[in-house]
Amino acid sequence: MKKLLPIIGTFAFAGNVPLAEPNQAPVHHGNTLISPQMIEAIPAWHKYGELFLYLQTHWVKMIFLLVIIGVPAVFLVHYLIIGPKVFSHHGRKFLVFPSWQRVIHWIAALGFVFLVPTGIMIIYAKFFGGGTPVRFARYLHDIGAALFAVAVIPMFLMWLKEMLPRLWDIKWFMILGGYLSKEKKEIPASKFNAGQKMWYWFATLGGIVMIITGVMMYFQDFDIALLKNLNLHQIDLLRIAVIVHLLLAIAITALFFTHLYMSIFAIKGSLQSMIDGCKSEDELKHLHSIFYKKIIKEGKDKELAEKCEK
Amino acid sequence: MYEYARMKFYCDEDRCIECNACTVACAEAHELPVGIHRRKVITLNEGIEGKEFSTSIACMHCTDAPCAQVCPVDCFYIREDGIVLHDKDKCIGCGYCLYACPFGAPQFPRDGAFGVRGVMDKCTMCAGGPEPTNSIEEFELYGQNRIAEGKVPMCAAVCSTNALIVGDADSVSEIKRARDAAKGKGPMTPYGWDVAYK
Repeated sequence: MKKLLPIIGTFAFAGNVPLAEPNQAPVHHGNTLISPQMIEAIPAWHKYGELFLYLQTHWVKMIFLLVIIGVPAVFLVHYLIIGPKVFSHHGRKFLVFPSWQRVIHWIAALGFVFLVPTGIMIIYAKFFGGGTPVRFARYLHDIGAALFAVAVIPMFLMWLKEMLPRLWDIKWFMILGGYLSKEKKEIPASKFNAGQKMWYWFATLGGIVMIITGVMMYFQDFDIALLKNLNLHQIDLLRIAVIVHLLLAIAITALFFTHLYMSIFAIKGSLQSMIDGCKSEDELKHLHSIFYKKIIKEGKDKELAEKCEK
Repeated sequence: MYEYARMKFYCDEDRCIECNACTVACAEAHELPVGIHRRKVITLNEGIEGKEFSTSIACMHCTDAPCAQVCPVDCFYIREDGIVLHDKDKCIGCGYCLYACPFGAPQFPRDGAFGVRGVMDKCTMCAGGPEPTNSIEEFELYGQNRIAEGKVPMCAAVCSTNALIVGDADSVSEIKRARDAAKGKGPMTPYGWDVAYK
């Protein structure tokens, strides 16, 4: 047993015991941000450091302002000129989202309710006064991220098959889903239309990238072998993380607003399908024509309708 | 001091003996939390003959401070003498200043029960912060205000080989020029200066 102890010790404390390096300040163990690595990274500042400086000082606040004011403004104009789509909710209803899918959706949604406003508060921290309130928003941002992280992988898997791009998605994009006309006609879309698919890919794969870059910025100090292989310094990785996080946030915020507008305002009553899981026949026939034809052809319509009658 | 003085640090790589006195003195003088090192002594090219050197690094108080440019709360302010300071009451601890800084000067102590990242801490060139000069609040948030007392910043004051010097840019470069001339060296740029003071 005595002979085994050093071996056990090696496993138990590997990487935890700071080696007494005579050439360093009494460094908090393993902190790569205050080690020679940080100093070696100084000449590399011109790569990502300068890029982040340029983006943050010239573009970030402007582009986000464009998104949080421009996107809702475009939708307001759309609502006033073209108006919402109204479908009859009296006919048959079909179950499209089983309860477990709705639960996963709403966990992710709750995460977004935390993430988007607090993210905007961090970007415009000066406008919101800074200090403790915005610092608290930063903590809420982390809590929202944790909620979203719980839901993102189940959400990715549960809709993956239906979200794969199909040929008719090109047609959907050509007519922009028919949202530019008041006419009620059959839109080429399966269970999810091309717009929803775009949102899905940004929210899931993009969301995972957001979580990874976010975790990197949360811990700031981590040690991965990847760095040495890529010839990157710790700080460079953090700079890449913040740049990717901000750029992806622009797209995700814009699509999040679009998702809100579509579900709450643009298609009357469509929010209901995420509450009780049922969509009306009229709505499915027009907006998800390919899906509707498929369930009729396969004879699933009665079964799905029964589930909504209870 | 000159009329348009800008305060700068300079660490002479030929003189620094990596004794770490500056790091320890700084941490003690300002009562910094464990794990925070406003000033760090670092040896590069260790063991490579003729190339090994040590240097002491902290906030370089850049003229065009990138930290101040990227801060979403604008909590930085640059004094007339060029010392870059920040307001911890405004700081949200987002970390942008660290990503923009070429020298890794901004650091974030983890505080609270959950160890969440707190507000940023960095070298103040011993000039305190926005709180009333030499008040208890100022000391607790930023450490000593030695500049206001007419004293040399702690790190340079304790440097046993006078490798680390601080003062207005013109005086510092005069000393450096004199040292280089005495050694028969041409003008050379200290490590990292081309990034900070271009």
